Amino acid sequence: MQSANMLLRKIIRISVLPFAAQHGMKKDLFPLSRTLSLSLCLKQDKSCEPSEKLDLDEWKKVMKSGLPEEVSETEPKELSSLAAARETLEMWRLAGRAVPENISEEQLKTFMECPSKSAKKKYLKYLHVKELHKKNEKRKMDEKRERRLEAQASKTDETKKSSFLCLWSRTMDKAYNWRAAQSMIFGQPLVFDMSYEKEMSLREVSNTVRQIVMSESCNRKSVDPFHIHFCNFKEDSLYHREFIQQYKEAWGKLLITVTDQCYTEIFPKDKLIYLTADSPKVMKAFDHDKIYIVGSMVDRSIKTGVSLARAKRLGLQTAALPLEKYLLWSAGAKNLTLDQMMHILLTLKDTADWKKALEFVPKRKYCGFVNQPVKELQKTLDLINTLKLGKRREKVEKQFAKNYPKKYKLK
Amino acid sequence: VQPPEKPLQAEEWNKLREDFQAPEIFEEVMLNSMIRCNSPIDVAKSLLTHLAKRNGDIAYSVLVKYLTLCVHQGQVSEIHDVYDIMKARFKILESGAYNLLIRGLSNSDQWRRALTILEEVKKMMVPSRSSYESCIKAASRHREMKLAFELYDEMLAKDVVPTLDVLQSFFDFSRGMKGAELQRELFGILLYLRENQIYPHKTFMRSIKLWFESIPGGNWRGHLTNIKDSGQCPVCKHQLEDSNLTEEEYSNLSERIIRDVIHGTDTFRKTSPQEFEAFQTFVENRLPFDIVIDGLNVSHIKSRKMQCENLFDAVNCLAKENARLLVLGRKHMLMNSSNWKREIMKEMQNKADFFFAENISEDDAFLLYATLRSGKHCKFVTRDFLRDHKACLTDNLTRHLFRKWQRGHQIALYSSAEGRIFSFVFSQQPAFRYDCVVQTTGDTWHIPYKDVFEEKYSYQVPRKWLCIQQK
Repeated sequence: MQSANMLLRKIIRISVLPFAAQHGMKKDLFPLSRTLSLSLCLKQDKSCEPSEKLDLDEWKKVMKSGLPEEVSETEPKELSSLAAARETLEMWRLAGRAVPENISEEQLKTFMECPSKSAKKKYLKYLHVKELHKKNEKRKMDEKRERRLEAQASKTDETKKSSFLCLWSRTMDKAYNWRAAQSMIFGQPLVFDMSYEKEMSLREVSNTVRQIVMSESCNRKSVDPFHIHFCNFKEDSLYHREFIQQYKEAWGKLLITVTDQCYTEIFPKDKLIYLTADSPKVMKAFDHDKIYIVGSMVDRSIKTGVSLARAKRLGLQTAALPLEKYLLWSAGAKNLTLDQMMHILLTLKDTADWKKALEFVPKRKYCGFVNQPVKELQKTLDLINTLKLGKRREKVEKQFAKNYPKKYKLK
Repeated sequence: VQPPEKPLQAEEWNKLREDFQAPEIFEEVMLNSMIRCNSPIDVAKSLLTHLAKRNGDIAYSVLVKYLTLCVHQGQVSEIHDVYDIMKARFKILESGAYNLLIRGLSNSDQWRRALTILEEVKKMMVPSRSSYESCIKAASRHREMKLAFELYDEMLAKDVVPTLDVLQSFFDFSRGMKGAELQRELFGILLYLRENQIYPHKTFMRSIKLWFESIPGGNWRGHLTNIKDSGQCPVCKHQLEDSNLTEEEYSNLSERIIRDVIHGTDTFRKTSPQEFEAFQTFVENRLPFDIVIDGLNVSHIKSRKMQCENLFDAVNCLAKENARLLVLGRKHMLMNSSNWKREIMKEMQNKADFFFAENISEDDAFLLYATLRSGKHCKFVTRDFLRDHKACLTDNLTRHLFRKWQRGHQIALYSSAEGRIFSFVFSQQPAFRYDCVVQTTGDTWHIPYKDVFEEKYSYQVPRKWLCIQQK
């Protein structure tokens, strides 16, 4: 054993030297490597002796020399505001800010209409990130195509025998549409309330539409789809424009009901339940006889009570998902995206299993499922709250005592 | 990376670059660390020279970084050179470079060039407040007060908020200067402080004092003082402005609260039209109240106790001298529960008027309405800061009114360790009868100031004053 160790040490000692010389390990082996390369350095020094003195301002000459000669001739013309904005953007890009490389005329106009500097910055960053995503996507697609071509080239042209033609996606589409058509006759209605356009910014509207498109597709693919209603849907509204942009010509062939009527005109009022996170009532179970309404709204600024106000005005029942009851909430707002809502409602409809349904709540928003009996948990929560509140109150009192050290005045 | 101490040859830079893990960003990282270590400018120059030789060009971002270094070290001739190069290379520059150029040049004897650059920026965008700051300071440093004030007015017109620093520099540099126009402008700044409820800090206050005392033939004298609770200044015996809102302000505020806070975009968000109407008739029939109480807020004073007992204590504490009380609550308080005993609720209803809102309605909005409707003497009780309601008001002026009104009319209840309940008017003890803003009577000025530089809570007001009077 010992001899083996000795041998190992020797090997290391031998192999370290050339390695160090190669990579120039500076710390402990520095003196060694310097002696080794001394002669080389001397040679180099000689070679650059004539230009020993550095001309520090040489870069200015270079920068000036690279310029076109007719600088004085091109008088700085007054730029049009659009061109000026484009120019500014270009400079920001050169300065290394988050700015898109290419920007369309329309985007440039939106950029100029931004009311403040920070709004401008935000918009540009949004475009920049979007551009990055697009580029990445494209790169991935290209790679995929290349791989596919390679695979095709290597594959021999023997074809498998099978009793089915390879028409999977079309057949699936047909089956889905069949189901969706059935749901339009027999299915349980689900209403999207499209009356929030005024409460949202342009971007929020387009986010909303994206979420609804996703909801619709997962509804279509489910075993027992809802009959989707878009109520209060105005022709030529922002929603409409966004939908056409998303669906293109498929918009006319969707198996859903779109109407400008209010849900209260279509369905009996006592069957309607407005789902909103602000509702004081918590949903206990999914009711197959009721018609649930989801507000088509993305509110990044968390405007509380907007959809609750709508339900109150029409005198409808409201309900919130029992998020608190089943999940230990940790962070984030209780309002969920529309596609998450759709997933949850579909799961509830099929299984009536809250735990399974609430799997679709984003994981970052909760720490885990509640498995203790709710009562006990409530107790501990109450305890935590009183501790927290108690502490906070003490803090406030201390603050006041500090600011007003005189005796409190008795009233 | 550690920047080298001496200018390097191209080969040496090359070697350093190769050793660096990400050679593409080597120059940027190196220049950043040069800025951080405030390296000699020659080192940066040698790097630029190396870059120029290798690429035949220097990227804009690198030039800006070099410019930063020059500005930090006040290398004026270099700043000029860089500006010339940038000017020739690019049609326009971006705001970062403009800021640097203006900052760098305004500190030199060529400060007028900074002004021309500012003009150039204005063609493209709204100049930043630091650009204005540099130019204004440069102008006033060279005693061009007229020019400085022109820039200042322009800045305000463009909604660029000046820093306290700029305002202070006006007073510093105008010291000992004569001129009615100048004096008017500086009084204008003091009125700007008044309108925006800004309180100067101690050093700023000192600049103001020194300026007043330096006015040739002005005979102004300044004293630091504390104002008595009665609102009389102990130095000049002047009575300070009343803290009450004027009739007009008062009606304006009530109107805005009803419009923006209670109704907002949709009455249904906080209450419902029927409920609000019912509340209005309820209040009108019983006016005026002396104290309006946020029942639910008060019921949480002591967490160990039953909520209705807390409320009961508070009502007893406030129901003295035949004060007319209104307690606002929600309907769930009427349900007999462990926290809300029916008998105690009954007893309380003999001592005070109660209004119960729907469980999903916002009672704070009702609180504000009832207090404002009762008149100027009426106070309200809650520990809530009411920030969310203040935020509903649409313009700054009304927010200031709200804050002023809140200072004079809000009572906060706290319980002591012995279990007794104390009350005092929010943030002020006792209630100030005078208004805490910059104010003048022509031959006197009274200026509240902060002892420390940091921001204070918006509901707090400073207690120290500068009194200036003309002999």
